[in-house]
Amino acid sequence: MNEYRTQIRALAWKEIADVRRTKLLLLVTVFMLAASFVSLLVAAVALKVDVVSYNGARELLLSLGKPLDALAPPAFMPLKLLRGFVEYIEIIGAVLGIVLGHRAAASERGRNTLPLLLTRPLSNMTFVVGKCLGNFVAIGGVLFLTFALGALGLVVIGGVALSADDLARIGVTFVAASLYVGFFFSLGFLLALHMRRSVHAVLLAFGLWLVFVLVTPQIGDTLDPDNQVGAGVFRTLSIAKPQEKEIMKSFKTYETLRDSVEQSSPAKHFERLSFAVLGIKDTYAGQPLGTVVQDRSGDVFWLLGLLGSLLAALAIFPLNVNHLKEN
Amino acid sequence: MRQPSTTPKTIGLVPAVALNTLRVALRDRTVLWLALLFLAMVVLSAYLGWSATNTVNHIYAQALPMLRATGLPVPPNPLADMPPLAMLRNMTTYISLLGALVAIVMGFQIIAEDLRSGVFPLIASRPVHRAAYAGGKMLALLVSIAGLLGIAAAGTAITVVLMPGNPMSPDDWVSIFKFYSVSWLFLSAFGLMAMGAAAWSRSESVALLVPVTAWLVLTFVFPQLSANINPMAALNPIKAMVAPPVSAFFDFTGPVLAQFSLVGAYRDVAATLLGFAPADPASLGMKGGLALISVANLIFGALTMTALTRLSGTRSNTDE
Repeated sequence: MNEYRTQIRALAWKEIADVRRTKLLLLVTVFMLAASFVSLLVAAVALKVDVVSYNGARELLLSLGKPLDALAPPAFMPLKLLRGFVEYIEIIGAVLGIVLGHRAAASERGRNTLPLLLTRPLSNMTFVVGKCLGNFVAIGGVLFLTFALGALGLVVIGGVALSADDLARIGVTFVAASLYVGFFFSLGFLLALHMRRSVHAVLLAFGLWLVFVLVTPQIGDTLDPDNQVGAGVFRTLSIAKPQEKEIMKSFKTYETLRDSVEQSSPAKHFERLSFAVLGIKDTYAGQPLGTVVQDRSGDVFWLLGLLGSLLAALAIFPLNVNHLKEN
Repeated sequence: MRQPSTTPKTIGLVPAVALNTLRVALRDRTVLWLALLFLAMVVLSAYLGWSATNTVNHIYAQALPMLRATGLPVPPNPLADMPPLAMLRNMTTYISLLGALVAIVMGFQIIAEDLRSGVFPLIASRPVHRAAYAGGKMLALLVSIAGLLGIAAAGTAITVVLMPGNPMSPDDWVSIFKFYSVSWLFLSAFGLMAMGAAAWSRSESVALLVPVTAWLVLTFVFPQLSANINPMAALNPIKAMVAPPVSAFFDFTGPVLAQFSLVGAYRDVAATLLGFAPADPASLGMKGGLALISVANLIFGALTMTALTRLSGTRSNTDE
């Protein structure tokens, strides 16, 4: 038992040391941090525009001596500023996972150390656990840095103080992001470890990234009738929410189909869970964290299930270096 | 090492290099699968557009009694005056999304395959002028993108004809032709960028990731900085065309970034050609957009030519 632990620890430390030297990781991390900064900056500017616009309307009404009842102040939910930030994690975080997963296997293949490793008394399980552990630590580190800077950005750029509840919500989103990026790591690792040519593995991984992260959410989004007009169909027609719900009852099959397309994407599960936890989705704004997580438990199980099934596949399928073809 | 002089004979090698590159590309199953995914999505996009429009029309029909009951003037159907080509609005997203990535993979593979297989040092040992080699490779890329879009255009034409209640005028067909021509120019820019990256970088992963990162910046970061469009909203052809909030910040960033926003310029030109959204006032417009896409092709073409002509004849394998 101790021997396994030592092997796993050695593999994990080696992975962390390798990852730290990877220029690609630096490139993706810097890009993710820069994109997150941009999203926070733009969200803060947009919020300021809303506040200025509200103040202008308020002063106009006061100068005309009219009541302020009809003028709703802009909803100020500081965590809503993280919407773009979450979406960047959704897109770039998945790329980070694929890059790390591919590197973890391709580096061994490129250096021909994979056949060497397999000549040692090292089980498939130990190899996979050691590799995954090291990379999960690296993913957790990068995401922790990103979320910490995101929280700091909220305070500095957004000019808001974060409560303990806000920090807990950011923490839950961080865990969800780790599961999500871990899924893409496992995907990249599995493909690069078992496909005959590593270049085909990375291309296929990017192809799947495209389908899971961009294409299926895009189909779901563009099929949404409310997204066919810039300001929204129902808002353009001045139809209130209860009437909207009444009308949409006739389109249940269409909506179920649209939702199924979205459900097939791990990115959408991460997005729905995060938007609910952070109160970005209006229906969850102001609800206690426990209630929100319980309500979105389906997304939690999806994320856990997707990651778990890929990890199981990594552990179950034996490595056969004779099938691998290198340059 | 001194290069062979450029003679009609060496220039005559351009089609030979291009033809052979196309033959090799056709055997690459990963590229073919990606291309097939792209073609499937382009054909599907027409159906998605039609389906969404049809749903809005039904919603409007159901909302009419409610709207009349209010006693207020009934607003018109927001999609009533939409031109027939607007049904193809999702195509702009798929071409700027999937098409750009397919072009990047194609451009990357065209060079990386020669380096990976060790063919390049062999070619370098033959009396083949590097410019002829580069010209052949670039020609192969441009032809393969044209072929891909040609098939996509045929698929679109069949889908459009089969969709009910969507009469097409001769002008509409001309617009489709123009749309695919602009798309070819747009995708070529990304393909050339990837070719250049594959020639410059010794690492395959970096060579692939650099153009992908450039594409991510142009697709997601620029629209957010210039118009507060969140990353996932940038994938929606309608939401991506929403006007930015009135603010000094966006008044500044919009026009500045528009000068470099290749994806934004393409979307604007495509939206104008298909007639589903008005031109964004902060963007370059039709002429400016076309000029930007053309200039991008010239710049990336020149950089790729430089990278390929300077490529060491001893380089065979890449560092993973």
